[in-house]
Amino acid sequence: MSDVAPSNPLRIDRESKGGNMPATELHSAKSSSSKYNSAPLRIADTSVMSVSGLFKSYGKGAVQVPVLKGVDLEIEEGGFTAIIGQSGSGKSTLLHLLGTLDAPDSGEIYFRDQRIDNLAPRQQEHLRNREFGLIFQFYHLLPELTTLENVLIPRMVQDGFFRYLKNKRSYRKRAIELLEMVGLSHRLTHKPSQLSGGEMQRTAIARSLISDPSILLADEPTGNLDSENGAEVMETLTALRKHENLTVVMVTHDDQLASQADRIIHLVNGVVAT
Amino acid sequence: MYKLLLSWRYLKTRFIALASIVSVTLGVATLIVVNSVMAGFVDQMKNRLHGILSDVEISTQMFSEIPHPERHVEIIKQTLGDQIQEATCVVRTPALLSFDVRGRQWTQQIMLLGIDDETFGKVTDFEPYLTNEIKRNSFSFDLEEDGYDQEKFKGDAGWKYRRTRIEIQRRIEANSREYDSLYDNAANAFYAAEPSHVETASHENTNTQEEQGTRFAPLPATLPDIPPTGNPVEEGIASQSPQPLTADQSAENQASNDGSIHRISPFDPHAKFRPEIKSEDLFDPMKDHRTGIILGLAISERKVELPSGELQDAYLIRPGDDANIMLTTIGESPKPVIENCTVVDFYSSNMHEYDSSFAFLPLSELQQLRGMIDPMTGQGSVSTIQIKLKEGADLDAVRDQLIAQFPPNYFPDYDIRTWQDTQRPLLSAVKMELTILNILLFLIIAVAGFGILATFYMIVVEKTKDIGILKALGAPSRGVMSIFLGYGMSLGTVGTGVGIVIGLLFVKYINEIADAVAVLTGQEVFDPTIYYFSEIPTVVNPVTIFWVAVGAIAIAVLASVLPALRAARLHPVEALRYE
Repeated sequence: MSDVAPSNPLRIDRESKGGNMPATELHSAKSSSSKYNSAPLRIADTSVMSVSGLFKSYGKGAVQVPVLKGVDLEIEEGGFTAIIGQSGSGKSTLLHLLGTLDAPDSGEIYFRDQRIDNLAPRQQEHLRNREFGLIFQFYHLLPELTTLENVLIPRMVQDGFFRYLKNKRSYRKRAIELLEMVGLSHRLTHKPSQLSGGEMQRTAIARSLISDPSILLADEPTGNLDSENGAEVMETLTALRKHENLTVVMVTHDDQLASQADRIIHLVNGVVAT
Repeated sequence: MYKLLLSWRYLKTRFIALASIVSVTLGVATLIVVNSVMAGFVDQMKNRLHGILSDVEISTQMFSEIPHPERHVEIIKQTLGDQIQEATCVVRTPALLSFDVRGRQWTQQIMLLGIDDETFGKVTDFEPYLTNEIKRNSFSFDLEEDGYDQEKFKGDAGWKYRRTRIEIQRRIEANSREYDSLYDNAANAFYAAEPSHVETASHENTNTQEEQGTRFAPLPATLPDIPPTGNPVEEGIASQSPQPLTADQSAENQASNDGSIHRISPFDPHAKFRPEIKSEDLFDPMKDHRTGIILGLAISERKVELPSGELQDAYLIRPGDDANIMLTTIGESPKPVIENCTVVDFYSSNMHEYDSSFAFLPLSELQQLRGMIDPMTGQGSVSTIQIKLKEGADLDAVRDQLIAQFPPNYFPDYDIRTWQDTQRPLLSAVKMELTILNILLFLIIAVAGFGILATFYMIVVEKTKDIGILKALGAPSRGVMSIFLGYGMSLGTVGTGVGIVIGLLFVKYINEIADAVAVLTGQEVFDPTIYYFSEIPTVVNPVTIFWVAVGAIAIAVLASVLPALRAARLHPVEALRYE
């Protein structure tokens, strides 16, 4: 590691932290889409993400509402981690911070041994686009686009106009494959308004997987669904996790859902309960 | 890619935004129509102004003169070198034109131009504006047998018309002579039968029948001689008698005027030295005509709108008719002179200012009339030298060269100007009008821009969550911004494109539209009697259209900058939470 210039924020020597993963350069981490083939098995107890001393409060000036009060946690590669807690316990905020959608007041977030909470916006955008698959409680599909186009959006964001046109065929193939996996191959040209809640969430899951992310961040994916649809979505998610060998972090307030996870983190009043 | 896709989808699903650019469309269409029509008018006007006025002219005041014009032209040609194409000398003078209309004198003021028929047509667009097609091709001051505008004059122009008129005139005179002689014979017979009446009627008359016969003898076929006086004033009065000139009378006037034909008089001691008069030397109005004069069409033409809405042309005087011009000589003691002329053609440039006042005479004729010919050298002076330059010559530079050649401190009476200088007030007024109109119309598009801004702002607010989604999926702020800029640009492009199409169609069918509006409202939109254009002239300038399009699209894009910036600055978490 001595050959790495310490001034480069993308190369961070984390040996002192106890991680045994070599430092990776962010842009080369996903140079190939077949990374699961090249590294099919990762050691289960290796952490892909780690968080230390995370503080976050909302509000302005005197009226500061602390949400996270020093969160430390590790997320294991290939694992299914559930973060549960009551409403207002800060679990959604934690997920947003993990997904670089928001910046913490203090504390550090590491992804594959790289600090990501203070990266430049461009690099964070790159992470969100390539490395993280995001799933939201309210699906957040774009109403003007069809199911297929919604799934393709991360790829469109990622590529320039001509590169996208060049790769369009393979992207479409992959999107249709993913939609088949979530059982929506018959809904390719439907608009979100023509889909049921479960179908919309499954579309969102397909969208989160289009860029072959290394970690899936799901924010109450069944929170807005009835139990039947919720179970269906969970089934899909579990099946995909196994099929794609995904790391999943799911936020929920449902103990029953959380019980399907390998590991459960309880968040109480902005700290991890032991 | 997503930017294009989303811009396109927003375009397809947000019709309210399309409504907001209707004003852009209308603004663009109006700009194009207004610019095309104005450009059409200016173009026509400039063409005509330039056609009538030469490129550059050196002129002096109308009652003054430029002596030795040939020498001047020589110097000008030397000065300008190969920039000059042609120069011509012109005499300009105000004059009075009078002619007979239904037995009364019609007199009006004209601007008389003495032109050199060799060079004048090469310097200005003179010949194309003549109504006679023969004259258009080979110009002369002669009355033509044929070639007059059939539609305008319905054949009542030219030699045939002149002969018919004179024939009718002669018949009327013959009839009236016949009537007179019948009357005289009857009277003679009456007095012969009752001589006592004669005594009571006249004490001085003797009673002899012979003498009575002499007293009431029929008038001779020709009127008694008017002795040549050589005084133009008296001549003028004589020929200006309220009665129309009879053919014979004017023949004799002419004969006495030109000095070549003289009556043998017993009181003339030099009579035997003068040539004998032959009948073919006498002026015969059936075969000959006076000095040819070309009148501006509007001097004669009266456009009258009939109750049916049709325009009818009426003419005060036609080619073939005679008219008098009255002008003053120049010099120390200006005197009025009168010349009898024959109208040989009309000049119709469609510039009312010129058509209603210009009349053209041969240069030498006018120089003679005004006493501009030097009796010693026989050289005529002129009042204007008009110059035509070669294509591409710089007018202002040439003018400055000429001013340097004829410096104002030595030639204070010379006025050297380009045709644009002459018409500067008019041209700059039109230019300013067009500029102001363009500014006002662009303000309309700017107003439309604020409409776009408001609509877009609403759309950004409505799309807040979508913007959050895109950002969560890794779309950069710049990309989100360009969605809305692209949206604004595509709306502006669509609006401008439709506006251009509508504008161009409007321009193409503008006369039909004007007619339709006239039918619908009963109000004439474009009155040819006012403008002297038979239809609305238009010139479509691609450069103007380009700039109008660029301006309109720029306004649409500018109007979308603010909403786009707002979209770019949205915080993804807050945007996602937005309901």
